[in-house]
Order: sequence, then C-alpha cells, then structure tokens
Amino acid sequence: MRRLGIRARVTAAFALGALVLSVILAAITYTLVRSETLRSEQSTDQRQAFVAASLIHAGLRASNPDIPVLLGSLGVPAGSIPILAYQGSWYSTSLGAVRDSLPPGLRRLVTSGSAATQRFELNGIPNFAVGVHLAGTGASYFEVFSMANLHHTLDILFFSLASAAGATTLGGLGVGRWASQRVLAPLRETARAAAAIAGGRLDTRLVAGDADLADLATSFNSMVEALQRRMRRDARFASDVSHELRSPLTTIQTAVQVMQHRREELPARSAQALDLLSVEVDRFERLIQDLLEISSSEGARMALEEVDPGELLLQCIAATGVTGFPVDVDPALSGAVLKADKRRFERVVANLVENAQMHAGGVTRVSATRIGNSVQIAVEDAGPGVPENERQVIFDRFARGSAARRRAAGRGTGLGLSLVEEHARLHGGHVWVEDRPSAGSRFVVELPLSTPDT
Amino acid sequence: MSNSSTNRILLIEDDERIRSSMQMALEDEGYEVAGTPTAEEGLELFAAATPDVVLIDVFLPGMDGFEFCRLLRRTSGVPIIMVTARSDSQDVITGLEAGADDYVTKPFVTKELAARIRSLLRRVHTHEGPPATLVIGDLEIAQEAGEVRRASQPVHLTRTEFRLLCELAGSPGRVFSREQLLERVWGYDYFGDGRLVDVHMRRLRTKIEPDPANPVVVVTVRGLGYKIVP
Repeated sequence: MRRLGIRARVTAAFALGALVLSVILAAITYTLVRSETLRSEQSTDQRQAFVAASLIHAGLRASNPDIPVLLGSLGVPAGSIPILAYQGSWYSTSLGAVRDSLPPGLRRLVTSGSAATQRFELNGIPNFAVGVHLAGTGASYFEVFSMANLHHTLDILFFSLASAAGATTLGGLGVGRWASQRVLAPLRETARAAAAIAGGRLDTRLVAGDADLADLATSFNSMVEALQRRMRRDARFASDVSHELRSPLTTIQTAVQVMQHRREELPARSAQALDLLSVEVDRFERLIQDLLEISSSEGARMALEEVDPGELLLQCIAATGVTGFPVDVDPALSGAVLKADKRRFERVVANLVENAQMHAGGVTRVSATRIGNSVQIAVEDAGPGVPENERQVIFDRFARGSAARRRAAGRGTGLGLSLVEEHARLHGGHVWVEDRPSAGSRFVVELPLSTPDT
Repeated sequence: MSNSSTNRILLIEDDERIRSSMQMALEDEGYEVAGTPTAEEGLELFAAATPDVVLIDVFLPGMDGFEFCRLLRRTSGVPIIMVTARSDSQDVITGLEAGADDYVTKPFVTKELAARIRSLLRRVHTHEGPPATLVIGDLEIAQEAGEVRRASQPVHLTRTEFRLLCELAGSPGRVFSREQLLERVWGYDYFGDGRLVDVHMRRLRTKIEPDPANPVVVVTVRGLGYKIVP
C-alpha cells in the first residue's frame, strides 16, 4: 500500500488528536457534572424526606391521626410523592402511587427498621426514593422523587458535549490541513525552484522567508550559485578559446582564399592539398562560429522582431539552397505573429535541414503548422530514424548518435542540433524528434506565437 | 568616386598577419588597398589616399575604431565597414552610432566582405526616369549630384544615408519594410541585421527632421517599416 503523503498524515494526526482530546474532556466533564448534580439533588431530596418523616412521626404520635390529612399537610414539592405504610395499609397523596411503586428491596429494608435510599426506574422514568422507618409507630415513610427533569438536563449536556467534540475534531482537521500546507509551502517552493533550474532558468533563487528554513534556502542557493558559476566558467572558457582562435582563423581563411585565387598556377599536388585545406578551414570556421554562438547563448541578446512565421520559414528554406521537397505552410498561420530573432531562427531551420541532408538521406518535407497558440516547424527526412534511446542525447553538444556515419559525412560540427535546442529554448519553445508514420524521422520545433497587439 | 576603374580601400587593422592577408585578398578582388595598423595613422592616410571605402577593426591600440568613425564623420561621408568581435554585442550598435555603415564579424570570408563593399559602393537606384531632383516638403534631393538641401541650406549626409533617403523619396508614401531597405541599400537578403536600418534612420532623422524625436518627414509605420510623408 502506498504510504500517505505528509499532508494527509499531518491532517489526520491533527484530527485524531483533536478527537481524542475533546472526547476525553467531554467524558470527564459529563461524568463530574452528572455525579455532582445527582449527589446534590439526592441529598436535598433526602433532607426533604427526613423533614417530612419527622413531621409524620410527630403526627402519628397524636391520638387518632387522620393519615390523608397528615400527608396532605406535608406540602411536598412538585415532582415528589409521599407514601406511608401504616398498620398494614399504604397511603399516598397521589392516586397512582401505591406500595408497588416502590422497589421491593427498599420496602423490605425500611419496613424491617432501617433508613435507605434507592434510584430506580418506573415506567421508564428515573426516580429516587427515600425510605425512613418511623420508630415506635410501626410506620414507614417513603418519598419518591421524579428525576426526569434532571435526566433531561443531563441529556442536553451530553448532546452539547458530543457536538462540541465533533466540532473540535473538524476544527482539528482544518487546522491540520492549514498547518501542513503552511509547513509544506517552502518545500513546494523549493521543488518549483529546482524544476525551474532544471529547465535552464539558472538565476532562480529561494527566498529565505522563514527563520527555520533559512539553512535550506541558503544551501540551496549556494548550490545553484556554484552550479551557475561553473557553467558560466565553462561557457566563458569555450567562448574565450573561440575568440582567441578567430584572429588566426581569419588570416588562414583569407590566405587560403588568396591561394585558391591562384589555383591554376599551383602544381597538381599542391592544388589537391589546398583543396583539403580549404574544406577543413571551412569546417573549422563553422565549428568556431557554432562554439561562439552556443557559449554566448546564456545571457544572449535576442534581436526579437515580429515576423510572419510562414514567410520566415519559406525565406529560411530558400536561404539553405536545398530544394526538391514540399514546404507546407498551414493556412491557419496567416496573420499569426511570431516574435523571433530571425538570424537564430534561420540557424534552427538551416541546421535541421543540414542534419537531414547529411545524416538522414535528405529532407522529404518541411511544414509549419499552427497548434493552438504555437507554431510547429517540422523537418521530415528519409533516414533510418532515431532510436528511442538516442532521442534526447542527440541534442547534446558533440553528441555523435551514429559516430561512424557522422564522421564519414565530414562536415558536421557536432553542435548543430544542440544549437537548435538552445535557440528554440531562447524563443520559449522546445524541440524533439519523433518517428514518421511511414519511415524516417521528424524533427519538430515548437515555438509560442505572440498574441497580436490590439 | 565609384567609377569603373579601381576603387581604393583604406584598411586599418592592428594584426599584421590579418592585414597582409586581407590586403592580398582584396587586391585579388580588384581593389587598391592601403593598410595601416593604427587609427591615428589611418586618419592621416585618409587625406592622402582618398579611399572609396574604409575598413576598420574596432579594437585597436590607442584610438579605437569608434573614435575613428566619429572623427572621420565630421569631414567625410565615405562608407565605413567595421570589423567586430561579435554580432550580438553592443559593439555593433556603438559602431553604427559612431558612423559606421555596415559591419562584418571575424572570422569572415573575403568574398563576403567584397560583397559588402560592392553594395556600399553601388550607385543610387535611378528608377524609370525619375526627376533628377526630388522635392519632399522643404527637402530638395539632387540625386545625380548627391546633394540634399533643407530650406535651401545644404545638409551633409553620408553616402549610405543619402541612398536610404533616395530609396524612400523615390516612392513617397510607400511603406518600405526593413528587409526591403536592407536589400536595396546594403544588398542583404531577408536575414540582414535590422539594426542597420534603425540606426541609420535615427541618424538620418537628426539631419533632416525639424524635431528628430517626433519625426514628420520619415515616419515609422509600426510593424511594417518606414515611409516618407509626401
């Protein structure tokens, strides 16, 4: 079974704690109130019964006592019934009350000469009876007190306490939920920051809002800073190296061009060597350009312009000089506005087309399709496709998916696809490769369209 | 200055090997090249060599390329191409604002550079028999003579600013996109750097607009480009 999350557990713990605590408190309160109320009620009843008993006792000592009058003169409080057993007869002021109203145990005890009390139920009504033997007269005086009112009060108390316990439990549930959310907020914040950093936004930092979590924020931030420093250093190194290489490369390139200008004057072997040199210098130049571009992409200045994505794609394809495949622009793209750095966009298309031409048997189709508020630029090829496990690494720098094939082609810099990914990212988009239904692969760059200005 | 005979180039580049190789390559392209390692010497040589185009590396010991452009612009409208380190850096804007007409980024191919030079040396497009002198408001543009007067006062435009103005004034009221202007004035394709147009337009406005901050002669048509108000 899956373990519950922290939030569920904290919430449940709070609710359970509140339930247990409130039930215990309610139980104690109820028990104390009940026993205390009963005790005081019964002692009052007892005193009342004893007073009445002494009055009866005095009355019986007189000659020819009129029992009903005697009982009537007692003036017992409402809800209590006097009963007298005298010379084998039972007397009461209440019609229904006879000797059978009294529990037999009490009756026996009292008539045999003791004083006793007993709680009992009669017809579902709780009663309290006090019995006193009136010494010297052979009579026994009983008084029965109805405890219905008291029990009703106690029932109300019970329901009040039970509802309070329920409400407290619900309150505990709410507090637990709120507290766990509060406690987990920094954790969620951290997760968000980590995701942002993984997504390439390296300037993301945690704000140490809570003193208890300051350590976490501090170490998290210093980790990110170290990471960023390191990445910057690597990027700067690549950039510095490339910069330093530019001057000698300019000289070499220009000198090679001067020699190419005089190719006919060269002996055959020298001309052959010169051709090799030319090709490699060109490739070297491309490598340097790519390196400069990729190492400068962090914090790069984007020359964003509002362009028509379809028109831009057609221009890019025309600029590659590669022909012989259809270029389909979705009619739904008419009027769409893409905020793009044209030069970078051109590199994206050029690199994808070049990739298809060099490594995948050539471009078979290029398309621009509107998907919601994005445009998908797809370059399809006739190659063998990209194996599932290479679909992510193919965009890594100097990734050589099928090394032998790439080197054989001899022109790739190993940076083309990672530049595509980099530029797509800078435009707020992304790139992936998928299989074409028939054969070959399909590289898709998805870029968000900008909402047209009003 | 742009006759069919040899065009002269002043090349200012402190790296001696780059300078010699460029000199050779540009001479192969049919230019006459005078090279020098510093901007100070470049300024002196400019008077003597009367070049048609100046090529200057922006990073030079002593006076840098930006300062050179600013000084040269006081007296001359000759096309200047700067050689920069990076196309996406602020250097490009600084250089263009200092008065450069175009830029190339190292490493570059001489053929590409030669194409840039040829574009800047191109004559003003003369459409199908347009009037030799265009009049736009209080501006008079003498296309053949390459002169502009504003309220009869001569306005000194660089060669590139003049060509830009002529393109717009040739079709008053028509909106030119940045791409079209880049193609017609600088010879770039669709992927030319739009900043070239923007910076030159700014400089042109400071010279021909009554209030450059609120242009009324050459106006921006948002999202489309620029047009001259007929």
